[in-house]
Amino acid sequence: MIDIHNLTKSFGPRRALAGVDLHVAPGECVVLCGPNGAGKTTLLRILATLARPTSGEVRIAGLDSAKAGADVRQQIGFLSHRTLLYDDLTAEQNLAFYARMYAIPDAEVRVDALLERVGLSARRHDLVRTYSRGMQQRLAVVRAVLHRPALVLLDEPYTGLDPLAADALTALLTDLTGEGCTLLLTSHNLQSDVTINRRAVVLNRGRIVYDAPHTDAATFPALYRELVKDARGKKQESANHESRIMNHESRVTHHEPPLQHPTSKIQNPNFFRQVWAIVAKDIAAELHTREIFSAMFVFAVLALLIFSFALDLRGSLAQAAAPGVLWATIAFAGTLGLSRSMAREQQTGGIEGLLLAPVDRAALFFGKALGNLALMLAVELVLVPLAMVMFDVAFLRSGVLLTLLLGTVAYAAVGTLLAAIAVNTRAREVMLPILLLPLLTPLLIAAVKATGALLEGATWAEIGGWGQILVVYNLVIIAVALLTFGYVIEE
Amino acid sequence: MRKKSLVDSMLIVLSVTVFFVALGMVFFYAPREATMGEVQRIFYFHVASAWVGFFGFFVTFVGGIGYLATNNRRWGILAFSSAEVGLVYISMTLVTGMLWAKPAWGTYWTWEPRLTISAVQWLLYVAYVMLRGSVLSPEREARFAAVYGIAAFVTVPLSWFAIRWWRTIHPQVVSSEGMALAPKMIHTLLVSIATFTLVYVVLLRQRIALEHARDRLAALRLRDETSTL
Repeated sequence: MIDIHNLTKSFGPRRALAGVDLHVAPGECVVLCGPNGAGKTTLLRILATLARPTSGEVRIAGLDSAKAGADVRQQIGFLSHRTLLYDDLTAEQNLAFYARMYAIPDAEVRVDALLERVGLSARRHDLVRTYSRGMQQRLAVVRAVLHRPALVLLDEPYTGLDPLAADALTALLTDLTGEGCTLLLTSHNLQSDVTINRRAVVLNRGRIVYDAPHTDAATFPALYRELVKDARGKKQESANHESRIMNHESRVTHHEPPLQHPTSKIQNPNFFRQVWAIVAKDIAAELHTREIFSAMFVFAVLALLIFSFALDLRGSLAQAAAPGVLWATIAFAGTLGLSRSMAREQQTGGIEGLLLAPVDRAALFFGKALGNLALMLAVELVLVPLAMVMFDVAFLRSGVLLTLLLGTVAYAAVGTLLAAIAVNTRAREVMLPILLLPLLTPLLIAAVKATGALLEGATWAEIGGWGQILVVYNLVIIAVALLTFGYVIEE
Repeated sequence: MRKKSLVDSMLIVLSVTVFFVALGMVFFYAPREATMGEVQRIFYFHVASAWVGFFGFFVTFVGGIGYLATNNRRWGILAFSSAEVGLVYISMTLVTGMLWAKPAWGTYWTWEPRLTISAVQWLLYVAYVMLRGSVLSPEREARFAAVYGIAAFVTVPLSWFAIRWWRTIHPQVVSSEGMALAPKMIHTLLVSIATFTLVYVVLLRQRIALEHARDRLAALRLRDETSTL
């Protein structure tokens, strides 16, 4: 199921994995141990396709994980340190969303059964943010196995679970291995039921220093301490090192054909359905909180008022300044909304959940951009009539509305790309406007000029170059965003 | 390493020499412009720095594509080193333009299309430099910078189109009909551009070397940290 050959991973000058070779047979359960910083999470993230290796080869179910993309991701379930759930959706909405992402045919039945199994049926309609840490962890396990993956990767799955919940998880994992599922889990608890009688792999400083069945719960912790301590010595003899990696039969590397697992029953996810699922998820989250819409709307009204007072906009001056004031207001309010929308995605790792799913990166971009566009248009729906009343200007003309639509589409597209960058910066609260506004200035110039000309009675054909700029800017910026979005969201 | 520093030393000596030649041509070879007089001579610095600044941003664009295509850090280093040097040149363009504008237009700054768009471009690359310093993960730093560098450069031609329909008072030296300059002025301008390009190459090489030195230092520090564990 897993074939890793000479895998390395570096973060700048720091080497997290230094030549890992590992083979895990289908149906096997492997426990990955090691001290903090040994490289366990990095290894799991590479296997989950969330991180790219620096060098080496990784094959999952016979498929090259670097090339197979969605086909590999369809086979994998991953439980991360973070829940990868959306706090502002209910448990049922979260699972329904992921079911759509994986195109699970019997989604409702599957969701019902798994929620029942982890004891969350009664709370299925509650928002995830009202759950305790243990309940969130149980729901996260359900999310990870929802699509019946052939390989389940679990990073510290027992974190935050009480003894009863831990027993339930152990039973679930045992059932999964019984169904032929391959498990690779990290654990610091060397005496738990799930780790005993399993194959134990000890990772230290990015290298495998032990690989053998873990049978003796009494002596293994002492051996583990010795291994970790020994590997920290300045010079470790390689012969000694190798002797601890037993001739496990499954270490022989061979490439298997893709596994025929229940996942093969799953249909290929449809691009447009995935786009719509992402949009619907964002709208549902917003309907629960209404925080982005409210913030954008209040901010927009404040901006209109401040511009009016600051520029003393009255009479003909107000009408002349109206296009500029309207677009500046849309730009500022839009930036606020885009920033929050992507922050919501990052909060509990939802974006990683999306990256894990067999979703085309283009579908991801369109889904997020359309969600942001819907929010911006909703705000404009209230803002434009308000500006008409305040400035005595008739914005409701087909040409002006087309200009508004084109400007907003480009804003949502480039804003989605740059918001995904800004949330990963230290100065995330201020970085988005700094990145976005200079890039959008040509668009804003064209939009203001076109709106002004149209308000003065020009037709769309008569505004000439400004309309062309809006169209060309949309085409160019959407193409750039589409081509580069994958690079921005992946680790 | 020794060969590299020899090349750098030679380039520095050459660029300083050519710089003095260019200065001499600007002040003693190029004729005095009839309308604007001596202040017109700033034009040789203004145009040369603008051209080299745009070239620097073009290298950033190419370096960004190279980095995304190959994941090779050298492309990333080339891209952001060139952006920093290009930003210095565009800053110089703005300052020399303002110095010229005061006697020519009676004001240092006016919301004239070319000035507006130059200010926007300057802000774009300031944002690029800020972004580089603010990304949390070192691996993502180069990738984000590459994406932003590509998006920023792609919007530059759009910016120029955006001002085509705006009436401009900025002088048009180079147009589709050729250069509206005396031959000696053209010679001086070409030497200035060559000089500024040479200085760009020197600065770019130094900036790239500095980044490689930083990488080596980080690797040494890490080695020290891990050996003391």
